Amino acid sequence: MFPSFLSSAAVSVSALGLLMVAPAIAAGPLEVTAHILVEAKQRATDGTTRVALVPATRVVPGDRVVFQLAYRNTGRQPLADIVLDNPVPAAIAYRAPAEGSAAPELTVDGRRWGPLATLDVALPGGGTRAATAADVTRVRWRLGAPLAPGAAGRLAFQAVLK
Amino acid sequence: MTRRPLATIHQGNRQMFAKKAVAALLTGTAAIGAAGAAQAQTTTPAAQTTAAGTVISNTASVSYTVNGTAQTTNSTTASFVVDRKVNFTVVTDQSGYTQVNLNQQNAVTTFRVTNLTNGTQDFLLDADQPGLLTGLLIGTDNFDMLNLRVFADSNNNGVYDPGVDTQTYIDELAPDASVAVFVVGNVPNLPSASIAWDSLHVTAAAGGATGTKGAALIATDLNLGNADNTVDIVFADDDSDGALNLGDIARNGQGRAYSGYQVGVRNVALTVSKSARILSDGVNTLNPKAIPGATVEYCLLVNNATTTTPATAVALTDVVPANTTYVAGSISIGTPGLLGVACVVNGSTEDDDADDAAETDGLTASFDTATKTVTANVGDVAGGGRIAASFRVTIN
Repeated sequence: MFPSFLSSAAVSVSALGLLMVAPAIAAGPLEVTAHILVEAKQRATDGTTRVALVPATRVVPGDRVVFQLAYRNTGRQPLADIVLDNPVPAAIAYRAPAEGSAAPELTVDGRRWGPLATLDVALPGGGTRAATAADVTRVRWRLGAPLAPGAAGRLAFQAVLK
Repeated sequence: MTRRPLATIHQGNRQMFAKKAVAALLTGTAAIGAAGAAQAQTTTPAAQTTAAGTVISNTASVSYTVNGTAQTTNSTTASFVVDRKVNFTVVTDQSGYTQVNLNQQNAVTTFRVTNLTNGTQDFLLDADQPGLLTGLLIGTDNFDMLNLRVFADSNNNGVYDPGVDTQTYIDELAPDASVAVFVVGNVPNLPSASIAWDSLHVTAAAGGATGTKGAALIATDLNLGNADNTVDIVFADDDSDGALNLGDIARNGQGRAYSGYQVGVRNVALTVSKSARILSDGVNTLNPKAIPGATVEYCLLVNNATTTTPATAVALTDVVPANTTYVAGSISIGTPGLLGVACVVNGSTEDDDADDAAETDGLTASFDTATKTVTANVGDVAGGGRIAASFRVTIN
């Protein structure tokens, strides 16, 4: 089971080629749709400025983006032990769980998972330092409860384009 | 007016007129730090940001169980294209005005353009002479330079090399790279000329083709369809002339910096000393005497005691004394020799007729037989430099 995560992680960070592959994914009962949104400041009529999430049509370095996974059980059986494993693209720096989303488990090396405070990064000269958000290479969510038929949910994390 | 800290953060070493509060306005600094939200970008060099055109895509892999049977799937792939965040700085890269002399050709003011965009691009350059900079620079603009031109520093040595630095736009400037830009002009021969302001106007242009001048970039209108999955142009440059709004506004893909020329020195301490030496008298070989038939060399030594300013087009005239005869073809111009030993070392022999067409060394001389006047045009005398001219007469 676990090795299959690794192989798909390697593919997904490569560029457009995967776009062609994506529709060919087997229509299993669990449907997962990825979205990338960008934070845009919008001026409201009352003069205040609000931050809205809009599709990532205009993204320049330094912009905050939100990576979102929407999942739905389209089958007739409940689905258990759901794990969503999302590699963080190389040009993206992880920041935080998005508003309204469960906090993902993080990893910097693909082996140890947990909150950021529990992770560290090996230094080239030996020893370790505490991991920072920018060190995160993958995030994953493990759903605690089975997903009933027709049920859906949404998970997201916030990041910055380097 | 308070000093804007922006300029000192980014280009502290490029500042002009450091003692003036207005100095910071001289340096055109781009968007960095202008908005609080942009602070994260201030510390990231452009070369380390994600290049425009990079495709970022995201796919999650998913595992689950159905009635105890393990299954895997992938999410759909979401992707976007990193857009071009156009940002750059234009600064004055010299301290104070360029000191010039009247009629000086190819006087240079130096600027520097730094590309802070997440991609390589061209920059279009043009120079103009705004007259409305009162308060921005010291003094008052009262003349215009002639034939103002602008060149990029092609060989990247920071110095304007005529004939070498000929490119009139900046070609393919990499992220974080910077290049000097020279505005070159001629000073008019106008006695009242004191200060001329000039400005370098820079426009971001499309890169991608070496040796080709790209078209000026236009910010992508996001109301247009199909802006997704293409490299949009986003201007992120700041207003480079601050609150004065003289020629630049924020986020327009353009920048400006200001400099100027000053006619500082109007005169030089030029002195001429004349000495005579008897070369031969036809009788005594050791100590020739001033007797009829003796040949006398007159030596005119020009000294420019102003060390910083050359004197140009220096002309010497001298009337041959009574009872002497000018020796034809005896005018020589060159480096002064040891006093009392030689007037001119490695001197040129000047054609002394009125026709200067045959003169090739730039220096001319003539002898007017009617007025018995020797004229020697010794050319430029460098600041602190000396030039000697000699001619010979015979005593009647």
